[in-house]
Amino acid sequence: MDKLWSVAANDIRVTFKDRTIWLQLVIIPVVIMFFIGLANGGFGGNGVVKIRLDVFDQDNSALSGQLLADLRAANGALILCPMDGGEDNACRLNGATLTEELAAERVKNGTTQATIIIPGGFGEAALAGQPASLIYRSQETPGQASAALGALQAVVQRVGGAAVAAQVAVQTTGSLAVEDEDGFKQAVYNAASALWNSLPPTVSFSESAAKEGRRPSGFSQSVPGIGTMYVMAATVVVMFVFIQERKQWTFQRILTMPVAPWQFVGGKLLARFVNGMIQYGVAFAFGFIVGAYFGDSPLALVMVMVAFALCSTALGLLFATLVKTEQQAGSVINLVVLIAAPLGGAWWPLEIVPEWMRTVGHISPIAWAMDAFRSVIFYGGGVESVVTPVLVLLGMTAVLFIIAVSRFKYE
Amino acid sequence: MQNGHKQVLVEVRGLKKTFKRKDGTVVEAVKGIDLDIYRGEVFSLLGPNGAGKSTTISMLSGLLSPTEGEAKIGGYSITTQALEAKKLLGVVPQEIALYPTLSARQNLEFFGRMYGLHGSELAKSVDEVLDFIDLRERHKDRIDTFSGGMKRRVNIGVGLLHKPQLVYMDEPTVGVDPQSRRRILDTVIRLKEERKMTVLYTTHLMEESQELSSRVGIIDYGQIIALGTVGELIQKVGEEDRLIFSVGEQQVPDALLERFRTEVPGITSASYAASEFTPVAGLEDSAELVIEKRSTGAMRVVRSGQVMDGEITVHAKRGRKALPELLRIADEMGVDILSVEVREPDLEAVFLHLTGRALRE
Ligand SMILES: Nc1ncnc2c1ncn2[C@@H]1O[C@H](COP(=O)(O)OP(=O)(O)O)[C@@H](O)[C@H]1O
Ligand SMILES: [Mg+2]
Repeated sequence: MDKLWSVAANDIRVTFKDRTIWLQLVIIPVVIMFFIGLANGGFGGNGVVKIRLDVFDQDNSALSGQLLADLRAANGALILCPMDGGEDNACRLNGATLTEELAAERVKNGTTQATIIIPGGFGEAALAGQPASLIYRSQETPGQASAALGALQAVVQRVGGAAVAAQVAVQTTGSLAVEDEDGFKQAVYNAASALWNSLPPTVSFSESAAKEGRRPSGFSQSVPGIGTMYVMAATVVVMFVFIQERKQWTFQRILTMPVAPWQFVGGKLLARFVNGMIQYGVAFAFGFIVGAYFGDSPLALVMVMVAFALCSTALGLLFATLVKTEQQAGSVINLVVLIAAPLGGAWWPLEIVPEWMRTVGHISPIAWAMDAFRSVIFYGGGVESVVTPVLVLLGMTAVLFIIAVSRFKYE
Repeated sequence: MQNGHKQVLVEVRGLKKTFKRKDGTVVEAVKGIDLDIYRGEVFSLLGPNGAGKSTTISMLSGLLSPTEGEAKIGGYSITTQALEAKKLLGVVPQEIALYPTLSARQNLEFFGRMYGLHGSELAKSVDEVLDFIDLRERHKDRIDTFSGGMKRRVNIGVGLLHKPQLVYMDEPTVGVDPQSRRRILDTVIRLKEERKMTVLYTTHLMEESQELSSRVGIIDYGQIIALGTVGELIQKVGEEDRLIFSVGEQQVPDALLERFRTEVPGITSASYAASEFTPVAGLEDSAELVIEKRSTGAMRVVRSGQVMDGEITVHAKRGRKALPELLRIADEMGVDILSVEVREPDLEAVFLHLTGRALRE
C-alpha cells in the first residue's frame, strides 16, 4: 500500500512540475465557466432554463390548488400552462386554447416536458384517505425521471402527507371528547407522525434557498458542467500517462523492482482520481468566489464528484488498453471529452434538448453526474436525490474497470 | 549451489523468448540460453545489436515472461518467486529510465521507495548513491538539464539504491562521450572491487568486455555461441594475428588476395572489404569533404558511390613476420598500402572467427 501511495504522490509531483498544468487546471476552465455562466444568466436571477408543463386541473379543489402552488415553489424553472402563460407567451400557446389533444401534441414535439391532469375528486379522495391519483404524461423513460417529474413526485408526497395528517385529525376527532383539547392535539400529532414514519422516505424538499433569497444562477450550471468536463479531461488522461511512462521506460523500470503491478497501476489511477478531485475543487472554488448557489447538500455534491471522478478514471484505464501512441491518446482524449461533455449536459442543461438526445446522452457518465448535480443545486435535493445517479456511476466504474483490468498488459 | 569454490548466483536454463509481430511474423529473439553467473564476478554478454541481450536482461529481471525455460536468482525463480528475486536485484536498463522533469534526488528518492526504503535509511542511501555517481552538487537539478553522461550515471545510481547483490547493466555506455564512458567503466570496476557485487554487463564493444569481465558469453542471433574467460575464448581462434591494410579508394584485384594466401607462409585467410560513400539525402550529386578513417587522417573530396576506406584483412600465425613479404607483393601488384595495423587476437577476432562477421554491424 505504501508503494501505491508513493507512486500516486510521485505522479502528482510530476503533473505539477509542468507549468502548463495551471492553464489546464485553473485558467482555461475558469474562463469557460465564467463566459458560459454569463451566457446562462450570470450572477443575477434564475439561470434555469424554463420547463413548460401543461396542466389540466379538473379537480379545482383547495388541495389541487395547493399542489400546483407547491410545484411552482419547489422548482422555479417550471411554467405551468396555461395559467402561468402571462403576456409574454411563455407557454408558447400563441393564443390557442389548450386541449388534451393539443397538449399531447406539445409533449410530442418537445414544447412541453409533460402534461399533468388532476382528475376531479382528487382532493376529496386524498383527504378521505382513499387512493388518489393524478396523470403525468411525458416521453420520459421510466427510471430516468426528469426534473419536472422529480419535483411533482416530491410535491405529491408532501401534499399526500398533509392529507394524511388532516384525515387522522378528522378520524381522531370522532373518537375523542373534544373538551380535552390538549389531549386531542397530542393524539393527532402522535398518530400523524406514526403514519409519516410508515411512509417511504420522501424527497426532502428544501425550501431554504427560496427562504434565504438564494437562487441558482448561471454559474450554478456552468461550474458543475464545465468543471465535470475538465475533471473528465484530467482523469481520462491516464491513458496518456501509461504510454508516456512506457516510452520513458519508467514503467518497465518499476516492474523490475519489488513492486506488484497493481501497486503501480493503482497508484497511477489514484493520482488521476486526486487530480480530478482537485479540478472539482478549483471549479467549485471559482463558483463560491462569484457567489453561485450550489444547493444545501455539500455531502451530496461530494458524493457525485467522487463517483464521477472514479468512473472517468476507469474509462481512462479502459482506453489505456486500446491506444498505442501518445498521438492516439491525445486525439482520443479530445474526442471523448468533446463528445461526452455536450452529450451529457455539461454545456447546457439536458432539459432543453429533445427527448431522444437526452436518452442517448445518458451513455455519457457526465449526464448522470449532471442529473445528480442539478437535482441538488436546482431542485434542492439532498443525499437521497443523488443515490440513483451515483449508483449508476459506480456501476459504470465497476464494469469499465473490470474490462480494463482484464485487457491490461504489463509486457 | 556450488561449482568448485564458486557459488552460483544466477542460474539460467533453456531460456527462450519468441515475439509475435503485428504482421504475424514470429521473432525468436532468444533461442534457449543456459548460463551460470557466479557470485562476485563481472559477467558480460557480448553481441551485436539485435543479438538478444536486452531481451535476455528483461526476462532475467521479470519484465518479460520467458516463452520457455527458467531462471533463478539466489535460488528464487524469476517467474514464480519474482518479488523475492527482484529484491536481490538492481537493474540498469539500456534506456534512460528516469522522470525527466524531476531532479536527480527526487528520482532517486522515488525509486528508493519502490525498492522499499523509507525515512532516514532512504535519505542515507540516496546521499551515498549521489556520492558514488559523483553528482552530489547537481542533485537538485532536473534530469532534462543533464548531459547524456550524467543521465547515464543517475540511471546507474537508481539500480544501486538498495545495495543489491546483483546488478544488471544493459549497454550503459551507449551514446556517451569517451570521458563519461571511462567513468562508467570505472564504476563497474568499483562495484566489483569495493562492493563485491556481481554484475551482468551487456555490450556490443569487445574492449569493454575484455577490460571488465571475469567471464564473457558471446551472444549472436539469440544464442550463446561461446562462453568462458577472455583467455579461453581467444585460445579458440588459435591465437592468430590479424593484419589490416588500409587501401583507401583503390580497387584491390582478387589476384592480390590469392597471392597473399599462397605465397606467404602462415597466412590462413585474406579478404577485402570496403564501404561505399553514401552522401546525406538530398546531397547525392554534391561532392563532400570527408576524413579518412584510418591512415593519415587527411581530408579528401569523395563523390557518391565512390568506394572508400577499403581494407584488406589477413589472418596470420605470426603476423609481424609475414608483414614485409605482404607489403612487397602489394607493391608489385601496384596497390598502395596507406597504413597497416597488426592486431593481437581479441574478442573481435573470436566473434569474426565464429560468425564470419564483424561485431560492429
Ligand atoms: N517487443 C518486441 N517485439 C518484437 N520483436 C522484438 C521485441 N523486442 C525485441 N525484438 C527483437 O528481438 C531481437 C533482439 O532484440 P534485443 O534483445 O533488443 O537485442 P540487443 O539488446 O542485443 O540489441 C531483435 O531482432 C529485435 O528486433
Ligand atoms: Mg539492447
